[in-house]
Amino acid sequence: MPSDVRRSFPLSIRSRVRALAQIPALGLYLLGIQSLGAQTPTAKDAPHFARTADGKPDLNGIWQALNSANWNIEGHAAHAGPILELGAIGATPAGVGVVEGGKIPYLPEAAAQRTKNFADRLKLDPEVKCYLPGVPRATYMPYPFQIVQSQNRILISYEYAGAARLINMGKPTKAPDNFWMGWSNGRWEGDTLVVDVTNQNDQTWFDRAGNFHSDALHVVERYTPISPDALLYEATMEDPKTFSQPWKISMPLYRHLEKNAQLLEFKCVEFVEELMYGHLRKKTGP
Amino acid sequence: MKRENAMRVTARCLSSAASFVILVLPNVVLPAMGQTSAQAPSNAKAASKPVAKNWVAPRTADGHPDLEGTWSNATNKPIDRPKELGSKEFYTEQEFAEVSKTWYLGERNAKPEAHYDFAQFGMDGMQANFASNLRTSIVTGPEGRIPPFTAEGQKRNSERAAKAKGHEFDGAQNRGLMERCLVYGQLEGPPMLPPMYNNNMEIVQAPGWVAILNEMYHDTRLIPVDRSASPRPHIDAGIRQWRGDSRGRWEGDTLVVETTNFTDKTPFFGSSQNLRVTERFTRTGPQTIVYQFTVEDPATWTKPWSGELVMGPAQGDIYEFACHEGNYGLANNLSGARAVEKEAAEGKAEQGSKR
Repeated sequence: MPSDVRRSFPLSIRSRVRALAQIPALGLYLLGIQSLGAQTPTAKDAPHFARTADGKPDLNGIWQALNSANWNIEGHAAHAGPILELGAIGATPAGVGVVEGGKIPYLPEAAAQRTKNFADRLKLDPEVKCYLPGVPRATYMPYPFQIVQSQNRILISYEYAGAARLINMGKPTKAPDNFWMGWSNGRWEGDTLVVDVTNQNDQTWFDRAGNFHSDALHVVERYTPISPDALLYEATMEDPKTFSQPWKISMPLYRHLEKNAQLLEFKCVEFVEELMYGHLRKKTGP
Repeated sequence: MKRENAMRVTARCLSSAASFVILVLPNVVLPAMGQTSAQAPSNAKAASKPVAKNWVAPRTADGHPDLEGTWSNATNKPIDRPKELGSKEFYTEQEFAEVSKTWYLGERNAKPEAHYDFAQFGMDGMQANFASNLRTSIVTGPEGRIPPFTAEGQKRNSERAAKAKGHEFDGAQNRGLMERCLVYGQLEGPPMLPPMYNNNMEIVQAPGWVAILNEMYHDTRLIPVDRSASPRPHIDAGIRQWRGDSRGRWEGDTLVVETTNFTDKTPFFGSSQNLRVTERFTRTGPQTIVYQFTVEDPATWTKPWSGELVMGPAQGDIYEFACHEGNYGLANNLSGARAVEKEAAEGKAEQGSKR
């Protein structure tokens, strides 16, 4: 299944599922499911995926990305990390990249800023300071997150820093201010949860490589079930202060299947206090 | 309502606000608030009889009572019953109305030389529309007070206090948990007691899970609710968490949540890491959840003790409370302490040179 998923990324969900349905065994399975008569008309889009009582895809679960996007969303070779003592532990794992077309379309000045950010990433990356990560970075950090979905509400809780988002599924509302995790209005488009994210501040990054945005960032996220245990995550970024045109990332998100899976605390504030405030510590001795 | 929202947003954006508050307030927010408080809550009367006759709780798709919504646990109760009330557990309706009139947190704390009016800055939880019962304190029972420490509990807490004394400003780790933006002191819980402001939580229910997002400090409790014959055991005893590890189950129409695995750094009114908290959430009316809790910790208290609050609908939405991200207060407190030390050292040196 994973290879099918990967191959089919450029295709639309519908056509990919059609391709899957041509596999005879799977086709029979689909027929079996359909004969139960419990499926909604759109069920063929994601035949195996669980549904809620009101027929929406059931996104409940603990999810995680399996890639190196948090190190660099663009394709990159492995390289040494910024802290000598960490050796291989602190090195950056390679990645083919999650940006459609390969490169982020930076405006010239912004491209120069990204280079500066990378050079000074130990000081500037908000993740180093345990700051809230913003969207879409929260999705592909190397920590799980949980979607809690009811008929009227969707809450996404991230293990990293206890970040949380309430997705408003009612009439779209306007943000009263800017927020680290932005302001999320959601809606269903067929079997896809579409979340419109506005009002993020200009403090968060996309990754540890210095890829950044301004407070004009507008993100549209799409969560589409592609198997019982995988979602396709897509996010389109628009920020005319930073990019010459909108651009997109996509990746699968995988369900944690461990029977005892649960988010644990990663309250990293405690881990960065000496880094952030150590210079203000009372000096003992001469 | 608009004003309340605006104030909450302001508090959040002035992200050092939380730290600021900690400077102003001692770590005994609740008892202090209980004796002051504010205007009579507009829906207190309606909510004072929480169990509505013939009212049936709405159900989720899987048939359990629907606790969902944006709730507030703001209250006008002190945690401990005022001593002069003795064993009086409940006010009459009339007494409650009278008592509520005298509660006001704003002016009492407004001093011209260090102007910090609780009402003006939205720190007065009593400004919120809040649900209530007729109880005279949060702690229930004839005594209505947190029981005394055991000898062990007394010793541990005295030692902790003695160790901290004189080092309050040494480094970040010496500051209070609220100021460090870790957990909202001993109020975030569980058991969840109202913080001074932003007393709000969002409850979302999915099959097998109940999530509670506390606005302070944007922290979500993800509670597995047992649906099978073999309940999910707690995480390994070696894994300790600030907010513990919660397991839920339905007892009739009441959600019961047991929490263990606390750290020894989360002192809930002096508790140890062996604290065990049982919470009971019962939806008793369209606008009320009765929230009851029992805490057990033989290493700390001479007996278990229980409390009760009424949760009502919050005004407006839950907003992001990004505390750590703008925690100028902590840095300023430490640098202020260093500046004072430097001044003192220079003063001494000057005095020395004059001799």
